[in-house]
Amino acid sequence: MLKIKIIISLLLIVVMASAFIYNEPPHKLTYLKLFIPRGWPKPTTDIFATNPLTEEGFVLGRKLFYDGRLSKDGNFPCSGCHQQFAAFSTYGHDFSHGFNNNLTKRNAPGLFNLAWQKEMHWDGGVNHLEVQPLAPLTNLNEMAETLPNVLQKLKKDTAYVSLFKAAFKDGVINSQHMLKALAQFTGSIQSYNSRYDKVKRGEDNFTISEKLGYKIFLDKCNTCHKEPLFTDNSFRNNGLIVNSKLPDSGRMSITGNLTDLYKFKVPSLRNCSITIPYMHDGRMFSLSKVIDHYRKGIDTTQATLDTLLKKRLIISEQERIDLLSFLYTLRDEDLLKDTRFAPPNYIQPAAKQEH
Amino acid sequence: MKVNVLFGIVSFFIPFFNSLDAACQVNNQANVPIKISFINTINSIPVVLDSGNYTNCWNETFNINALKYYISNVQLQTAEKKIAAEKNSYHLINEEDLASKSFSFMASPGTYKTLSFLIGVDSLKNVSGAQTDALDPLNGMFWTWNSGYVMFKLEGHSAGSAVVKNKIEYHIGGFSGANSVLRRVELNIESSAVLLDKNSITEIIVHTDLSKIWNAVHELKISETPICTTPGILAAGIADNYSKAFEILKVIHP
Repeated sequence: MLKIKIIISLLLIVVMASAFIYNEPPHKLTYLKLFIPRGWPKPTTDIFATNPLTEEGFVLGRKLFYDGRLSKDGNFPCSGCHQQFAAFSTYGHDFSHGFNNNLTKRNAPGLFNLAWQKEMHWDGGVNHLEVQPLAPLTNLNEMAETLPNVLQKLKKDTAYVSLFKAAFKDGVINSQHMLKALAQFTGSIQSYNSRYDKVKRGEDNFTISEKLGYKIFLDKCNTCHKEPLFTDNSFRNNGLIVNSKLPDSGRMSITGNLTDLYKFKVPSLRNCSITIPYMHDGRMFSLSKVIDHYRKGIDTTQATLDTLLKKRLIISEQERIDLLSFLYTLRDEDLLKDTRFAPPNYIQPAAKQEH
Repeated sequence: MKVNVLFGIVSFFIPFFNSLDAACQVNNQANVPIKISFINTINSIPVVLDSGNYTNCWNETFNINALKYYISNVQLQTAEKKIAAEKNSYHLINEEDLASKSFSFMASPGTYKTLSFLIGVDSLKNVSGAQTDALDPLNGMFWTWNSGYVMFKLEGHSAGSAVVKNKIEYHIGGFSGANSVLRRVELNIESSAVLLDKNSITEIIVHTDLSKIWNAVHELKISETPICTTPGILAAGIADNYSKAFEILKVIHP
């Protein structure tokens, strides 16, 4: 009996002592992992190595992405120019609309598979996904806001106070946390479920025309628009005639090297049928025109023109049609309709019912 | 039963062992604080924003409206090459903000012969995404169009400048290759080597003569180069020049 008493009292001491060690419940985070489709290369840089991907961070990032208050007058959320139904590009606009009736100077690219992109912007000027939003946020022709103003607006909103608390251990609302949360959302937007992907996985089949188109693609386009990402992330001059009204030296404006004059990032062809229009200045309003450019439009006099394009591409009329059929297979309906990437609290319209 | 009792006793003492261990570690290190302060001058005249009028060696007069620069990777070294490096060492020296012009860190006691630091933010931090504190883009020292920190910023006016409003605008940045403006400065602590001990806070006062911007390694005139806001040869040249502006004014032992 005495022994039992000793044990009980000792146990009590242990319990009491542990009360001093125990401070507060640990901050719970739901960790997520970026899905790497089979056969894909590893992401060029691990963007989530210093920014662990969590459900809480993603949810905060999504709210920020769709929040107009990140812009000066409330009218220009990130999603204004990066629309989900257009694979997060601006549908049908060469230039996007910004604050005070301004236009952007380049075409808004689609946002997907960003974990595989080393540099952002057409000229590659932005070297990390986390610092990307600083450009549109502060540009006077885009969101035209300042960082201190944005943070002030967020701090006043109790919804954000609790979302930041959930997503980050210290719960502080600062630029670093805001940018990291945005990167968790945008870095999670992935596209790997197009018909092309399904064919590759043996879940679907190409039509004859698509199959022929794929062969032409492999032959003529795959060096720069390398599958499975459909870009090699390089910067190249594809021989566009220089727009004298909107001169843009491209990559050279970042590196200062003359050899980079008129070079722009090779965009991914994934979802290209929905990211209309095309090129850095959105000058081409159909994929047919794009193919025509490579067949007959390339300005072969430019010194920095890509060596692969010096002789233009030889693509017959029939081949052009087959190539187009293949390009349409790169459209990923799952990406365009995934409610996870839709505005917070988005309710999917009910399917039509026949009576 | 006996095992249980033993377990109970051992678990009871575990937290004490832990804290005892931690206390020993602190005692072993016994680090002491060292303070580094910066005084910005032009030809030994302390900089006063907006009001001061200064003259460079080319007889060009000017004033200064903003002066900010990064000091990072600060370390002290003894004659025996023992290094005391500040951890997470990033400081934005902002002429406008008195508190920003000095900082302290903990170092182990020793006789230090050199103080060295990087003017600017090391290249790694320029490519590592969103940062905070001194490196927060909120400080207006981060380029959004060409990712990277503005390492050194001087804005002012001069009659010698032919650009609009007679502006001088030096936003010096670039962290890679030939365009890098990162310069490591190593200063000898000559007359009075720093002795750190528990009872005193030693302060090293670093003095900058910013007139060097226009004449040190390269000869530069406001009239010819009033503006530099992109990485490149000019920015690297200006960085060469201002890297010569730093010297130790004195070491104060309390």
